[in-house]
Amino acid sequence: MASSPQNLDRWSHWDLRLSKYNPLSRILYFDDFDEGMNGWCELVGNHTGDLDQIRPIAKDFRPPQLSSCTFFDIGTHGSVDGTYSLKLATRPQRNHLAIAIKRMTYAARGLVQFETYVTFKSELIPQAERALRSEDGPRWDGNVAPSERHFGEFTFSNDICVGETGPRCHGVVRYRNADPDGNLVQKWVYPTSVEPTTKMDRLGLVERDTRPDFFVASPADWREIPGGRQPLCFNETASKVNWHYVRWLFDLESLRTLEFQCNDLCMDMRDVAVPTYDEEYRSIANLLNLYIAVRTHVNVRNLLYLDSALVSVDW
Amino acid sequence: MLRRSFTAVLEKGSTFRGDFCTEPYETGWAREARWFVRVLSADEGVGLHLVPQVSPDGAEWCDEGSGSLRLQGVGLVSMPLVNFGSWLRLRGTTSGRAGSVTVLIYLALKE
Repeated sequence: MASSPQNLDRWSHWDLRLSKYNPLSRILYFDDFDEGMNGWCELVGNHTGDLDQIRPIAKDFRPPQLSSCTFFDIGTHGSVDGTYSLKLATRPQRNHLAIAIKRMTYAARGLVQFETYVTFKSELIPQAERALRSEDGPRWDGNVAPSERHFGEFTFSNDICVGETGPRCHGVVRYRNADPDGNLVQKWVYPTSVEPTTKMDRLGLVERDTRPDFFVASPADWREIPGGRQPLCFNETASKVNWHYVRWLFDLESLRTLEFQCNDLCMDMRDVAVPTYDEEYRSIANLLNLYIAVRTHVNVRNLLYLDSALVSVDW
Repeated sequence: MLRRSFTAVLEKGSTFRGDFCTEPYETGWAREARWFVRVLSADEGVGLHLVPQVSPDGAEWCDEGSGSLRLQGVGLVSMPLVNFGSWLRLRGTTSGRAGSVTVLIYLALKE
């Protein structure tokens, strides 16, 4: 996020909306959510036309929304530049997960960089606050919002298939804000197992939908990224929205994440293995999908907002 | 620029018995909306009554006021809305005999 005068020559400064990003040599897409959904849609589990075939864990990822960030106390907050952002909202049910996806294919096995400005909230409903206050323990000190501890986690994932039959993998980075007991964790984590698929389910390779987390076989399959503790700016009241810069650089050749940056924390992830599938997958040649996800640990809606998103490549 | 539109599937094969509400959905960008409700299956004699609701904040709700939808058995019905503000949802209840209905609920929005 250099802001030195010489950077004014960068071509991204030609458009003020791009000047807050640091793209690689070619912009694959730039999604300003003041201009619509731009191809982000609800992820759904595989089926052949019969909704009953969808694994229950993959049936209800909720449609994304164009949000004005409107709250009961202040009205409309708006986004970084403009009014609308892309919003994902869970149901107010423990462990519920909302996922939106954007689907592409790659033209070369090079670098891909995803950048966005993101914020996260747990829904502020006065009745819910009162209902949950008894679980909150310490008295409100006028500084830290109790609702901060109602926000579970948000996740970025890719879905890559090399060529016609793989290997296939998901590079995944998750911000774990709080644990299910409401203790603040505030760490970036990565998974050590693959995301169980519909094919694995039908082959009997995974236990069917008893797990609470779509992304991994077991809740124990997460590890902290070295140096990955980072309190983010939830702010003191749930209707105060502060945006965070995220940059995620990954390599389609090594299938590794190279760097993951949030604001002033940049984590080197070259040594972090990305689990690949043992099975062969067809029909997804050169897959290059991106997911964003939000998951609640408690019976409160958790909300994830993206002001805009930019994906750039070196090919 | 063409007029932007977006269809959200708010319930995907969900089964309801008694009173329920769909999840809040933000609609501030849209000028017009149309609800589509498709009953995939229903127990014998069970109907469905649905009332559009609006909200200033996505938390507190009141009926939109221009009408409601009633269904008996399987089928598809729809209802248009304008001037609905920034949030929409449906308040629903099953009617007639005790039992359940399984539905797809779409919200089609357009600038």
